[in-house]
Amino acid sequence: MLELKRALDAKGHCLLEMPSGTGKTTTLLSLIVAYMKAHPLDLTKLVYCSRTVPEIEKVMEELRKLMNYYEKEMGMEQNILGLALSSRKNLCIHPSVSKEREGKVVDGRCYSLTASFVRARHAADDAVPICEFYEGFDAHGKEFPLPPGVYNLDDLKEYGQTKRWCPYFLARHTITHANIVVYSYHYLLDPKIAEVVSKEISKSSVVVFDEAHNIDNVCIDSMSVKITKRLLDKCSNSITILETTISNMKENDSKRLEKEYKRLVEGLRDATIARETDMALVNPVLPSEILEEAVPGTIRTAEHFVAFLKRVVEYIKTRLRVQHVVQESPAGFLRDIHTKVCIDRKPLRFTAERLASLIRTLEISDLTDFSPLVTVSHFATLVSTYTKGFTIIIEPFEDRAPTVSNPILYFSCLDSSIAIKPVFNRFQTVVITSGTLSPLDMYPKILDFHPVIMTSFTMTLARPCILPMIVSKGNDQVAMSSRYETREDTAVIRNYGNLLVEVAAAVPDGIVCFFTSYLYLETIVSSWYDQGIIDQLQRHKLLFIETQDAAETSLALINYIKACDNGRGAVLLSVARGKVSEGIDFDHHLGRAVLMFGIPYVYTQSRILRARLEYLRDQFQIRENDFLTFDAMRHAAQCLGRCMRGKTDYGIMVLADKRFSRADKRSKLPKWIQEHLKDTNCNLSTEECVQICKRWLRQMAQPFSREDQLGISLLTLEQLQSEEMQKKIQQRAQGV
Amino acid sequence: MADEDETKEYRWESGYEKTWEAIKEDDDGLLESNVADLVARAKRKRAALKATGAIQLGMMRHLFVVVDASACMFLQDLKPTRFLCVLKLLEVFVHEFFDLNPISQLGILTTKMKRSEQITVLAGNQKKHIEALQQLKDLSCEGEPSLQNSLERAMNGLKNMPAHSSREILVLFGSLTTCDPGDIQKTIKALKDNNIRVSIIGLAAEVRICREIAKKTGGTYNVLIDDHHLKELILSQVQPPAVAGSIEASLVKMGFPGGTPSVNDGTSDSSADHAPAYCLCHIDSETSSLMGPNGYNCPQCGSRYCELPVECKQCGLTLVSAPHLARSYHHLFPIKPFIERAQVPNTTHCFACAKLFVEAETNVYECENCHQIVCLDCDLFIRETLHTCPGCASDPVTAQMKTN
Repeated sequence: MLELKRALDAKGHCLLEMPSGTGKTTTLLSLIVAYMKAHPLDLTKLVYCSRTVPEIEKVMEELRKLMNYYEKEMGMEQNILGLALSSRKNLCIHPSVSKEREGKVVDGRCYSLTASFVRARHAADDAVPICEFYEGFDAHGKEFPLPPGVYNLDDLKEYGQTKRWCPYFLARHTITHANIVVYSYHYLLDPKIAEVVSKEISKSSVVVFDEAHNIDNVCIDSMSVKITKRLLDKCSNSITILETTISNMKENDSKRLEKEYKRLVEGLRDATIARETDMALVNPVLPSEILEEAVPGTIRTAEHFVAFLKRVVEYIKTRLRVQHVVQESPAGFLRDIHTKVCIDRKPLRFTAERLASLIRTLEISDLTDFSPLVTVSHFATLVSTYTKGFTIIIEPFEDRAPTVSNPILYFSCLDSSIAIKPVFNRFQTVVITSGTLSPLDMYPKILDFHPVIMTSFTMTLARPCILPMIVSKGNDQVAMSSRYETREDTAVIRNYGNLLVEVAAAVPDGIVCFFTSYLYLETIVSSWYDQGIIDQLQRHKLLFIETQDAAETSLALINYIKACDNGRGAVLLSVARGKVSEGIDFDHHLGRAVLMFGIPYVYTQSRILRARLEYLRDQFQIRENDFLTFDAMRHAAQCLGRCMRGKTDYGIMVLADKRFSRADKRSKLPKWIQEHLKDTNCNLSTEECVQICKRWLRQMAQPFSREDQLGISLLTLEQLQSEEMQKKIQQRAQGV
Repeated sequence: MADEDETKEYRWESGYEKTWEAIKEDDDGLLESNVADLVARAKRKRAALKATGAIQLGMMRHLFVVVDASACMFLQDLKPTRFLCVLKLLEVFVHEFFDLNPISQLGILTTKMKRSEQITVLAGNQKKHIEALQQLKDLSCEGEPSLQNSLERAMNGLKNMPAHSSREILVLFGSLTTCDPGDIQKTIKALKDNNIRVSIIGLAAEVRICREIAKKTGGTYNVLIDDHHLKELILSQVQPPAVAGSIEASLVKMGFPGGTPSVNDGTSDSSADHAPAYCLCHIDSETSSLMGPNGYNCPQCGSRYCELPVECKQCGLTLVSAPHLARSYHHLFPIKPFIERAQVPNTTHCFACAKLFVEAETNVYECENCHQIVCLDCDLFIRETLHTCPGCASDPVTAQMKTN
């Protein structure tokens, strides 16, 4: 809290690492709210960005508790409005639209019911369906602000139901004057969405990125485009549709096209007015000067533009017809496209905006079919806008199946600071926090900002409730490692298997294992099967495996939880960087132990990664190896952190790779794990590890009540104020 | 554990024991000493709980002991093996159990190979149980245990017991997994509906389902640290638990067979009572022999038994002797809890055991009545075994008051 206050005072950015379950959310919320109350002029708004919908809900729950506490203590209603925002899919209350399961379809259908031209048409002809909730909101909702309080997604829906207002648009409207906004990072980071949703958030806001250990990847993903052959084929289809619609319209209603033409001459700025509902199609980040310029003549008329698009698509198609891997810079790409099909840079920059405008004019309400074309137009705009920090890679086939031709064009962002830069520049304080941010000094480098505070907090615990261990060898003393050279070694695989079997015999309930990749997981499991290890394992616990298929994985997860609840016990084999490692908590009995088989290095042969490494080296002086280790260790820490979700929880963390005990790896673990990783536990064999587990589990199983924590990890007010404690706190919070 | 078992075991056969860690100085403020502290506190809590008094205790207990006999019971982390160690302690338990709860009944189940087997039926004869336990030693442990099957079986046995008795199940569970045929939640619910209390002692680590069962049925769940702790845990089950909710009070018919007639003096009232007869306890076993005039005759049907308490095989009457009843009587009037104090300046030693108080011992305990100071261990001993305060008993004034 102290550190956070300092950052707020300094109006600077900060980076905090706090273990999960230590009240990170509550701390952030309560301090910032208090600060807002004390200095209403300096700090007007809190924007809390989280990752998933359940996380958003959790934050809202904390906020509600805080508000109730305020009410109880102060004895009056609080004049604070807290709000959660999510996609239409989660907020829609339209009877039929809300039944759709895919986000894109909901967006598309919503658009077809609420777009300005649809409503205009409805005014003329009652048969055109519109959304009554949106109409209700449009008619009344804007004048009446939401009463103060805390609204999570369900509350918004309920409120919308009673008032017959659309909760989604209500929420989006309310963002501008709400004090606390909670939503997903994408609303702020993805320039395509941020432009529309978050534009009006004032400068004097605090932005919090929770669970932000992957923030650089989110930034990069939001700016990268991947084009496959299938996508291009679909593009061609949509272009044909566009053509026919245009020719139809020409016959019936040529006036509209003319009007659009005129508007484009005047510039795009006006076009952005009155299109709040049309946001499903928005431009990627466009420097604002582009919006002020007029659209170049060559693509102003609809037919010309479609022809232009056709050329672009055809050009990309020819580029995909390569036999070997091509890597080039955006500048090179532009030069090539200029010489081959005579397309200038300037019209390319306008592609996205022009397409949006065209679709609007043509009154095409079903947007879902056009998404491939939109992707291509984004690509065109991005490639012509940014020349630095991006690369284009064309691969004729996938690495895994070199015989199958499956050309893909990656337009990949190499610099994560591009997407986040506007955020840092605009807001006075940006807080980046997560349970696993170590090593902290890497983030300012790759995100290119200067934090005023960088701190890693540890947990104060009444008992040693995590047990990290590095297991480096099997009982036969063969070193365990997922190194490339020893990967196929049966001795190593067998040792990994034995380790799992023995741990499974000693640890109750749930065990989660992480492998470095799906490929590795598959080879290991198949050789375990041959070696009979799977049979041994199933004597103790049931076995579940994460696959690349999301539905299958969630089914496996459900059954895993069931097996743990029933006392049968289960082992879940999953992959670092997979769905399980990122979003799912294995608290209490669901994850009594986490095993990390090997160091989860990212696939180093990938060309995108290589390009990025090169870029990082040239631009930020980060050595390749440093970045790779950093990336691997934060994922390892992320996986390990899955089993620890609070002070009453306990879990074993086994790092099964010889290389973990090296100083460069070990020192990159979060401080709260390092603190418990004793030197004696750094080079264990399987048997030693199991012995330690057994003893530790018995200790942890002893009754543990609230009083035991009092004075150590739970403080009363008097204890907190005592001088000794103050000193301790100061000591603990030493910066990195 | 008996000594001869220890000597049979070679050091290299046992697991890793980092003996140096036990004496390690606790500089980081965590680990062992802390856990030991927790255990001590739990002890104290137990003592305090027992001392609250004025609660209705289920004196007439029907208890099923379920012993895990799955493959993991062969592990040697308890000496000589978990299974043998548990059986040995159970013998002590059975003995203590009938000593403190003479009018209760006990049954033994085992579970292995996903099934559950009945070793002894609910009965009040401790000899029989102990014999059965001794025979169990040769049983081979294999397969997986099934919590659900054993709980169901125990429940079937307990369901029909009279409502005024306390129905309990004690599970000694070594495995970390259970292989169940159906939804165990239903079983838990049925147990709860039948007012059956399930207490579980885990031999390896905390298993969530066990904790849940114990919590939902009002029992306790504990995991051992070592064999001493296990003994403590098992023996803590000897004390009758407080009755959950209100159980209807009812009258129980009991028989008090006449005191043992001595062999020498032939001055008995009726000669039939002392005529040599087969003891009904052993009638069906091969070792049965005609017994002399020693024994107890059922006042209702006249069957002879060699030991009390027992339930008459002929007429189903519970046969007890007056001292038995008196022994369970103290459960109703436990002594008041002692007051916990920091070191008292002018007392240097424990009143009961005369042990000197050392610095390490932070708390001592004072009796409310006689103001004598005892140590923690004595406090527990008084509470669990003596059931009377040595200070009060030795002081003629208070002792007089008590008898009045």
